[in-house]
Amino acid sequence: MSTTVTEATPTTDAAPRPRRRIPGRHAWQAVGPIVIFVAMLVVVAILTPAFIGGGGLAIVATSSAPILLLALGQAMVLNVGSIDLSNAAIALLGAILLALTLGPVAGAAPLVILLATTLFGAVNGFLVATFQVPSFALTLGTLGIFQAAALVLSGRTTVYVSANSEVTSTLYQTGIANVPMTFWIAVVFAVVLWVMMRYTRVGRGLTAIGKNESAAIFSAVRTRSLKVLAFALSGFAAGLGSIAIIAQAGSASPSGLGSDLLLPAIAAALIGGTSISGGVVNPLAVIFGALTVALVPIASAAIGIPTQAQSLVYGVVIIAIVALTMSRNKSSIVK
Amino acid sequence: MAQRNPTLDRPVAIDTTAIRVREQGIERRARFRSISEPLGLLIALVVLLIVFSLLNDRFLTIGNAQNILTQASIPLIIAVGATLVILLGSIDLSVEGVMGAAGMTWILLTANSRGGEGLGAWAWVIALGVALLFGLANGLIFTGLKVPSFIVTLGMWYVGLGFATILYGRDLFPRLEDAALKGWTSQLTLGLPNAFWLALLVIGIGLAVVRYTRVGRVALAIGNSETIARAAGLPAFRVKVAVFAIAAVLSGLGGILATIQLDIGSPLVGSGLLFIVIPAVVIGGTSLGGGRGGILRTVLGVFLLTVLNNGLILSGVDTSWQSAVSGVILVAAIVFAAWSHRDRLGVAK
Repeated sequence: MSTTVTEATPTTDAAPRPRRRIPGRHAWQAVGPIVIFVAMLVVVAILTPAFIGGGGLAIVATSSAPILLLALGQAMVLNVGSIDLSNAAIALLGAILLALTLGPVAGAAPLVILLATTLFGAVNGFLVATFQVPSFALTLGTLGIFQAAALVLSGRTTVYVSANSEVTSTLYQTGIANVPMTFWIAVVFAVVLWVMMRYTRVGRGLTAIGKNESAAIFSAVRTRSLKVLAFALSGFAAGLGSIAIIAQAGSASPSGLGSDLLLPAIAAALIGGTSISGGVVNPLAVIFGALTVALVPIASAAIGIPTQAQSLVYGVVIIAIVALTMSRNKSSIVK
Repeated sequence: MAQRNPTLDRPVAIDTTAIRVREQGIERRARFRSISEPLGLLIALVVLLIVFSLLNDRFLTIGNAQNILTQASIPLIIAVGATLVILLGSIDLSVEGVMGAAGMTWILLTANSRGGEGLGAWAWVIALGVALLFGLANGLIFTGLKVPSFIVTLGMWYVGLGFATILYGRDLFPRLEDAALKGWTSQLTLGLPNAFWLALLVIGIGLAVVRYTRVGRVALAIGNSETIARAAGLPAFRVKVAVFAIAAVLSGLGGILATIQLDIGSPLVGSGLLFIVIPAVVIGGTSLGGGRGGILRTVLGVFLLTVLNNGLILSGVDTSWQSAVSGVILVAAIVFAAWSHRDRLGVAK
């Protein structure tokens, strides 16, 4: 507009140049999650010296598998600017379904469960995208439905795998470097997602929605189907999570292993650098987010926080991370 | 900057008839909706009452009516606060956590089976103070640090549960020993349960706050358009914090009442209440976007859900289904509310 003032800063006159990046923020996104994990690890190692020698890292990786799977799914949904509050309930329902079906249909059961949970996720996405409703409210509603389904199917008790438990338990009993396959499957899933987000049209479209949905619509990005895809991926990840739960425990119950994964998974996605407002995700960094979260129980026990009160830590961590990483300006409206 | 727009140099007569007609239409529709929506809810409630009384002859008795009123009391109290928060366009998911924290604080300071002298009224003050602190934390983090309310309150939900768990420790459940308080919530005064009288009081105060006080009016203005509210110089910051504080204190009161009702202290005393309160507010017709709705509609919503749950249980439906019923209703209500706002270029988070 006015020419005299801006001449002092030559950037505006330059020919089209690559988009400027904020260096600090970008560097943090790449190494931040690793730094947090290492810092946490050092704290734990100092407080409990036996931890590193006693194969503690393998234990952490093992216990992080379900959290990582759910966090990856959650990261996909957060990346499009939504949130999936129902994914942990889907994983638990999936685990109960798997425990019930593994006996009768053996090897086909995990596939059926994956199909079912992907469908659950897709329904969430379809409702959010078609009716343009806020995802936190909608998935709160479906959370209730999945929770009730889990209670009813399990009869409020623990469901044990009646037969063919080796189909899933081999995933837990075999492993690489003392870490079970469930963790490595999650890592492979993270790598696949990373490739998809970085190199495919679909992945770029998903991120475009998170950055600016209106702009994505005007750029002919298929926002609706991509949103359905993001939620379906969350459902699929929850399905993998339920397989990991059954592989580890051999049983499922509405209050057992996996019943309290919602907050840890969101925390892992956020520590992994995923933006709560969308448009920023790095599945590989989420791996470190999940490992950090898996360290929380060990660290909090070392500090002296009772293990039942871990939820307090997760709650504080989530609020703190979002507060620290929110991009905001003075006039913006936050609901 | 200095360039002048030639068309603005002389006044132009603009025909505003079309705009006025449109505005009148909008106003008429709004007035129609403010009558038709609560009426629809009332009809639904009456239909439910008829259906359940046909299904079960134990349903339409004085005893069960008092039962329903007792069951509705705690959700009613909490829903008043939740309505205020949703009128802002925000959400408070921390209800169950704050209930746990306040309920646990209260029972440990009242005469209970773990011993110790009860503090009497001070226990109430301190427990509600704890709830107030949670509310202030919610409000200040949300407003001051601009963290979306669903994430602050989601975190605070679990902070509250953790706080209650730490208070609870590893001992036995603290059982209420105060004979005067045992069963107080369901005892009858003038034919109505005590807890319901308390709920009526809270509803009355809530209505007065929304209608006559600055906090209520500004909250509505913020829900309609925060940009305009701020531009008009309204104290948006203070009002938002105040609303979250009010909501948390009411959640805390609900937590204490639930503890009395349960007779023992538990961090999970509020379990499942979020699934009654939020659907109740939404089916009452309070818009999740803020600025539209009210407490009386929420009261209808709470009664609808309570009657539905009560009737289903009397009809022999497993209590496990409760959260599914509320979940389906919540999904249906938000889809229904969003139906007319769908837009090809619409954006939903």
